Amino acid sequence: MTDWQWAIVDLFQALAAGLLVGGTYGLMCVGLGIIFGVMRVVNFAQGDFMMVGMYIAYYLVTGFGVLAFLGPYAAPIVGAVLAGPIVFVVGWLLHRFLIAHVTGARVVSAEAEGHYTQIILTLGVALVLANGGLILFGSQPLSVQTPLSRQSWEIGPVFLNQARSVSFLIAVLVAMGLYMFLKRSNLGKALRAAADNPIAAAYVGVDVDRAHRLAFGLGVGITAVAGGLIASTQSFQPYIGFDFVIVMYAGVVLGGMGSILGAFWGGLTIGLVQQMSTLVLPYQLQNTAIFVVFLLIIFLRPQGMFGRVWERT
Amino acid sequence: MLSIRSLSVAYGGLQALRDVSLEVARGQFVAVVGSNGAGKSTLFKTISGTVAPFSGEIAYNNRNLLSVSPAERAQLGIAHVPEGRQVFASMTVMENLEMGAYTRNGRSRWAQLLPTILELFPVLADRRDQLAGTLSGGEQQMLAIGRGLASAPELLMLDEPSMGLAPAVVDLIFERIQQVHREHGLTILLVEQRVAEALEACDRGYVLETGRVVLEGSHDALMADARVRRAYLGM
Amino acid sequence: MTGGRPAMRKQYVAIAAFAAVYLLLGLLVRNSYYQLIMTLVLLWGTMGLSWNMLSGYSGMISFGHAAFFGLGGYTMTIAFVKFGISPWLGIPLGMLVGVAAGIVIGVPTFRLRGHYFALSMLAYPLAMLYVFEWLGYQEVTLPMMREAPALYAQFNDQRAYMAIALVLMVACMVVSLHVERSRFGMSLLAIKQNEPAAEAAGVNALRWKLLAIMLSAAMAAAAGALYAVVLLVVTPQSMFGVLASAQALIVALFGGVGVYWGPVIGAAVLVPLAETLHAELGHIVPGIQGVVYGLAIIGIILLAPDGIYWRIRDRLVARQAAPGKDVLPPARAAGPVPAAIASRTDAGSPKSGAIDAAPRTRGRPLLELDGVMRTFGGLKAVDGLSLSVAEGEIHGIIGPNGAGKTTLFNVINGFLPANAGSIRFAGAELLGLKPHRVCRRGIGRTFQVVRAFARMSVLENVVIGAYVGAPTDRDAERLAFDALDRVGLAGDRAYAIAGGLTINQLRLMELARALAPRPRLLLLDETLAGLAHEELEEMLGIIRQVNREGVTIVIIEHTMHAMVKLADHFSVLDHGKLIASGPPAEVVRSAAVIEAYLGKKWVDRAQHPVA
Repeated sequence: MTDWQWAIVDLFQALAAGLLVGGTYGLMCVGLGIIFGVMRVVNFAQGDFMMVGMYIAYYLVTGFGVLAFLGPYAAPIVGAVLAGPIVFVVGWLLHRFLIAHVTGARVVSAEAEGHYTQIILTLGVALVLANGGLILFGSQPLSVQTPLSRQSWEIGPVFLNQARSVSFLIAVLVAMGLYMFLKRSNLGKALRAAADNPIAAAYVGVDVDRAHRLAFGLGVGITAVAGGLIASTQSFQPYIGFDFVIVMYAGVVLGGMGSILGAFWGGLTIGLVQQMSTLVLPYQLQNTAIFVVFLLIIFLRPQGMFGRVWERT
Repeated sequence: MLSIRSLSVAYGGLQALRDVSLEVARGQFVAVVGSNGAGKSTLFKTISGTVAPFSGEIAYNNRNLLSVSPAERAQLGIAHVPEGRQVFASMTVMENLEMGAYTRNGRSRWAQLLPTILELFPVLADRRDQLAGTLSGGEQQMLAIGRGLASAPELLMLDEPSMGLAPAVVDLIFERIQQVHREHGLTILLVEQRVAEALEACDRGYVLETGRVVLEGSHDALMADARVRRAYLGM
Repeated sequence: MTGGRPAMRKQYVAIAAFAAVYLLLGLLVRNSYYQLIMTLVLLWGTMGLSWNMLSGYSGMISFGHAAFFGLGGYTMTIAFVKFGISPWLGIPLGMLVGVAAGIVIGVPTFRLRGHYFALSMLAYPLAMLYVFEWLGYQEVTLPMMREAPALYAQFNDQRAYMAIALVLMVACMVVSLHVERSRFGMSLLAIKQNEPAAEAAGVNALRWKLLAIMLSAAMAAAAGALYAVVLLVVTPQSMFGVLASAQALIVALFGGVGVYWGPVIGAAVLVPLAETLHAELGHIVPGIQGVVYGLAIIGIILLAPDGIYWRIRDRLVARQAAPGKDVLPPARAAGPVPAAIASRTDAGSPKSGAIDAAPRTRGRPLLELDGVMRTFGGLKAVDGLSLSVAEGEIHGIIGPNGAGKTTLFNVINGFLPANAGSIRFAGAELLGLKPHRVCRRGIGRTFQVVRAFARMSVLENVVIGAYVGAPTDRDAERLAFDALDRVGLAGDRAYAIAGGLTINQLRLMELARALAPRPRLLLLDETLAGLAHEELEEMLGIIRQVNREGVTIVIIEHTMHAMVKLADHFSVLDHGKLIASGPPAEVVRSAAVIEAYLGKKWVDRAQHPVA
């Protein structure tokens, strides 16, 4: 093949990899999107909940081998999905006993100072989780073992890593399930209403504080599932959360702040950007590319961010 | 049905309501008029529970409303159609109406109420799958009222339904409100700046000025009272 | 600001005493590990001061101070390792790089607010971290200089490093002290509490913020460079990692925000705690430092969100002075206003005759609007509006709710750009100017919902407004006292904290803030709304008096009672358009106005009275 043809193959390879990675990023972003959308709280610790999801999947599958009976193919998937409910409970309790002190229906409409206390509180949670992770799990990089990670499907000259492909499929399924939940169920609609207009939601009978607890638990749970899925495709250590916070916010901002489903597309795009960047940038600068894209999005689409500050008297 | 006694509220550093008392009997159409800043919206927010008073009582069907959470007040049959519409902009027209039926009553009577609402505001049927944020101001106001009706309320509270709307639309909306009141016997509490429309529609009216009730009386008495005109135009 | 020289001297004595005690303590400590901890306390104290300089004073929360810390450290290290430049030069070089980065980061990022600012600040150091890893600077060690080590800032005695770090931190404390007591610090504080109000009062927010980030970056870069000198090694994680940013923020928040003692206290408590635990337990529980910082910040947010310093001070103040909790010294008599400042007003023609005199001929136009248009999406909030305000008059802008009155003010004073049209003030175009520039031209404004700097005293609030019209801080204070006198808030009330005032007092304070720089035109947004009868009369009296002294006034109101008595001229807005204009007595009789206010049906009824 000529150089040009190789270049095109590389392009398709990066596109495919970006799509597959982007699917899990999309799911991760949806988790954050729910929290930001409903609560208008910047959760700094979101990446660390993802990290917790990774370790839960790891310990269920490889560490303690509780799920070993499912066989090497199914166990990583079940492990990742199970991380969701476990982290949901953790998130629910954390919100109930800690975060609810600085958020709530009243704070949503309050001025900036309230937001700062929230973001700083979640920074504290992030530090405790990341370093607590270091204490509990050690700094050794780990990954969830699956035979799929060494196998690929070939579509023409393009290789699709099977572990990534399966993670992608599960991520899309979970995201679709969530979409149906938000679209069809009464509880889901109540969450969307609370995200859209908390005051009107209270007027139609939605308990906004309860919606916040649910959103927080659901949001960190969904992101933990994404973490569990990523755990079988790349290695991780307790500090991984901080990198992913920016990845997630990049996706959420791109998808339109407050739009829960837009966050999925945002995350997918970020995955594509990350993988495509390897075509022109050294491998180590993947994340730098994401950060730059994140900054560009924030600078170039300011209307959603501070356009209405003057009006809000 | 709704009985407010000596209500005083401070809101945003401002004493918004001073010693306000007000009665709404079942089936009545009561209007509260007054210029902006008179405390009308604060009165509504206090009734629906997003603002807490520092003194006074609110009884609803002989129950102390102040100890009930805002979400539960909606379940008790109080529908608040807020100032500035406040529709769920990112949800469709139908979803907005469904959210109105979030209450227990609304859900059980959804099948009966939906046709009534769509008949009242046919434009909502035409636009059922459109996002509420893309509707015109008048359509949003109709949707907000429809959402309030979907909860199968006992008491419908309307906060400035005329705000920012063209006169023709205002006329239509007032007609529909009166129609709901007449045909379904719904109890209505209306807050308005447009005093003529509001007083003409109501059975009983209150005039609020800087947080105080300065005038109250029946429809006829208020329409004839020169003081109403003075309260607005200063002459 | 206020406080003057004696108070400054007291602060200097306190800093000197602190430095002396610390030095003495450091000299007595023999264990080199404890000496290192004492140095680290100073370095993280400096980082905390750096964070406080930007985020503590201005309220723009930064999660990315590691960017400056790391750039300082790496600049010094690379200069040393690659070019043999001594750290004595490398540290200032690092500071220069830090300042440059501060400008490059600040200019775009200051456009963002709240979450977005905080998050994008987080992105900078993380992006740099990967760049430095990619460049191959995973772990760079400073070479040991055997000959003339002192020339390369290398000492056998740990205490030498401590002394250098002490000099650095004390320098940062002194800089912070001067910032706090100057126009600079006051402006940052005003921006933190209410940026639109600060802009409207003539504060050039961007300029002050840039200055703050430059100072802040210099401090952080110096701390980072010295940190590298002390530890002799840099890694991307230790210099650019999240923990470095977090530690800066946490020591400042823990110790106390917005006061230079805060970060020092925070560092003195947290650094030894974390380091000791790390030394004792680090081999069993490797992340203990991070956990300590995390728990510290959670605890402080829940228990004392402003930090230890303020908690202690509030206690002391409450115990000491039960009667008045004034932070400021007792009142001083206001000096005469300098002629150079006072003359600004004389341009306005003093108004003659009583206010309720027969209609006079209007003066020449001061403010002219021509075809001004402002839309929000499809809504035309201001729809091709043309009107003219004559010099010396009280011009009432009235109209029902949602008529576009406040939007009009926001367009005039530069908060909102117009879609079309022109606004000329004393002959010069206003559109396109930033709010602080509009203020400088001589236009003051108040807000519908009072925008006070809630945690500052009444006097301080007004002084911020006065800066625009005063060359020195002392003049600004004089102007402020003068303005307070004009609205009747002079005396003890000037020292009350704004957050505790009644709405009427707040309105008077805001009026004084707008009046302080002696504007030619005042825009008053619903200054009369919700006032009880006596308060209303008082306010009307003040507005009339101000007008009589030559200030042209445009006032927005919904209610017409008071306005009929107050205004010389009415412009009536409905749906963003001018529907009537003229002397009040005529305007209130116009059918269009009655319809807009009372509805069409009322007009019909008035025209066809039923017998």
